[in-house]
Amino acid sequence: MASTIYDLGYQRYDGARLGRGYSFRTLWWYSVKAAFGSGRGEQARRVPILVAAITFLPALVQVGVASASGMINFISYGNYLEFASYAIALFVAAQAAELLVNDKQNGTLALYLSRPIGATDYALAKLAALTTATVVIVMGPQLLLFLGRVFLPDKPWTAFKEEWMKLLPIVGGSLLVSFFFAAIALALSSFAMRRAFASASVIAFFLLTPALYAVADTITTGALRRWVVMINPVLVVSGYSKWLFELEASRRSVVGRADLPGQAYFWVVLGASLVASGVLLSRYRKNET
Amino acid sequence: MTSTSLISAKDLTKHYGDVHALDGLTCDVAPGVVGFVGANGAGKTTFLRILLGLLESTSGTASVLGFDIASQALEVRKVVGYMPEHDCLPLDVSATEFVSHMGEMSGLPFTAARERAAEMLRHVGLHEERYRLIGSYSTGMKQRVKLAQALVHDPRLLLLDEPTNGLDPEGRDEMLELVERTGRSFGISLLLTSHLLGEIERVCETVIAIDAGKLQYFGGVSAFTNRTQVLMVDTDDELPEFAAKLRARGLDVDGAGVRLRVALKDDATYDVVRDVAAELNAPLARMELERHRLEELFVTRSG
Repeated sequence: MASTIYDLGYQRYDGARLGRGYSFRTLWWYSVKAAFGSGRGEQARRVPILVAAITFLPALVQVGVASASGMINFISYGNYLEFASYAIALFVAAQAAELLVNDKQNGTLALYLSRPIGATDYALAKLAALTTATVVIVMGPQLLLFLGRVFLPDKPWTAFKEEWMKLLPIVGGSLLVSFFFAAIALALSSFAMRRAFASASVIAFFLLTPALYAVADTITTGALRRWVVMINPVLVVSGYSKWLFELEASRRSVVGRADLPGQAYFWVVLGASLVASGVLLSRYRKNET
Repeated sequence: MTSTSLISAKDLTKHYGDVHALDGLTCDVAPGVVGFVGANGAGKTTFLRILLGLLESTSGTASVLGFDIASQALEVRKVVGYMPEHDCLPLDVSATEFVSHMGEMSGLPFTAARERAAEMLRHVGLHEERYRLIGSYSTGMKQRVKLAQALVHDPRLLLLDEPTNGLDPEGRDEMLELVERTGRSFGISLLLTSHLLGEIERVCETVIAIDAGKLQYFGGVSAFTNRTQVLMVDTDDELPEFAAKLRARGLDVDGAGVRLRVALKDDATYDVVRDVAAELNAPLARMELERHRLEELFVTRSG
């Protein structure tokens, strides 16, 4: 009889009950794993694998070539973030929908919000999770380059002493750029009721802003024209990483022509990230589903 | 309003524009198995969602197990398990993974959450299938997962919103048995909504009935069903004097022709009908209790 099985089942629980911070960490880690498709079907892993391939491959090639040819200077970090921008955009477009819109579409949000966390906690945990997942994609290849520059030369210790200062821009840059992409993607996705719309709106944002920039670039002149690069998130990230790694932008490049103070890019990245976070949080201000 | 009361509401009101989903609801419910009945759209779900803080009331106050829903929402949610009416499960994870995740969300440490998830899935009869993806489950199995996730943190109060919705008669039976068992044997208080009176009758001790957001009845379930029961009396031939005689004996009689509807006051009503039928030598064809739908109950009371 099925009923005899049920009888064994229910027992009261009088063990530990942890607080709100624990619930927050639980949701954060569960969402980080979800962003990489862990515990889910093969389909859920497709985008993370593709993006990881795009971002890690050039790092592997650089380290490989440097190792074969002995030309350590072949390895450089400076253009990495700019190069990876579109891959990162693809990643956050897919995974913001996975983390945020899935819960709305499945109705699971109501279950979360009837647990002892607030709606703001929920949104912050999702933001922290997507930022974390993006850091893995963004910082991983740069750390690989760093290891290449340290361990390929004959004297790793000497190389490390010369190179370790680069860790600061690598870590700092990766954190802020990941936060930038995650916050924008989640803010846009918070308006969508279906996953496809969320992903499409994020991809559209990263495709249309450069187009908008191109238009603005042709119709503006003088000082204003220099500042319109700030419309284009890819150029902003590029300018920011050049400033971080203290590189001189090529005179022929857009960022070089704009000739703006490097700090300006930092403030724009930070400001845009905070504005996007504010939009996301305002969407989850009320505990209502 | 005492600290021992399960749910206490005072003038609880929720308006959506001109629609009054809840209209000055006041009640003080003691722990136990409580039924919450009302037609679809009567405000049942709204009430549950306000208790959980998923909706804000327009005015009025309420408390759950002594915790104020507005200022102590997190405390309320710690001690309450909620099974929504709508779909609420992710499809691409296994039941065991999801239920234990929900346990952790309620504060259970990892190992405890895993253990509780396995126990709860066994409790609801899904032990064998617990590693399968939820997307591959039938409606009945999903309902069981919904119940398991509401129980995983061992709540003191379980809010079940139409738990039998979408189930076939057999599934309904099993779900009700499960709900009954959970409420009766394990000392968890239950608030169960349904638009089917039969379900409430079967499982609950107390009933709250609302219609258009207003409280219609609050009290014991037997008193509620008795006072609204109707005896159907069919005769083979039309006997106008039958109805007249029943009315003369103090009964409330509806209808004409071969079918009369007699309001059932108590067991003596049966005797009166029998005596009158014998007196008139009426050819009685059938005499049985009418199954009411909720809508009729409310009409009977206000009319």
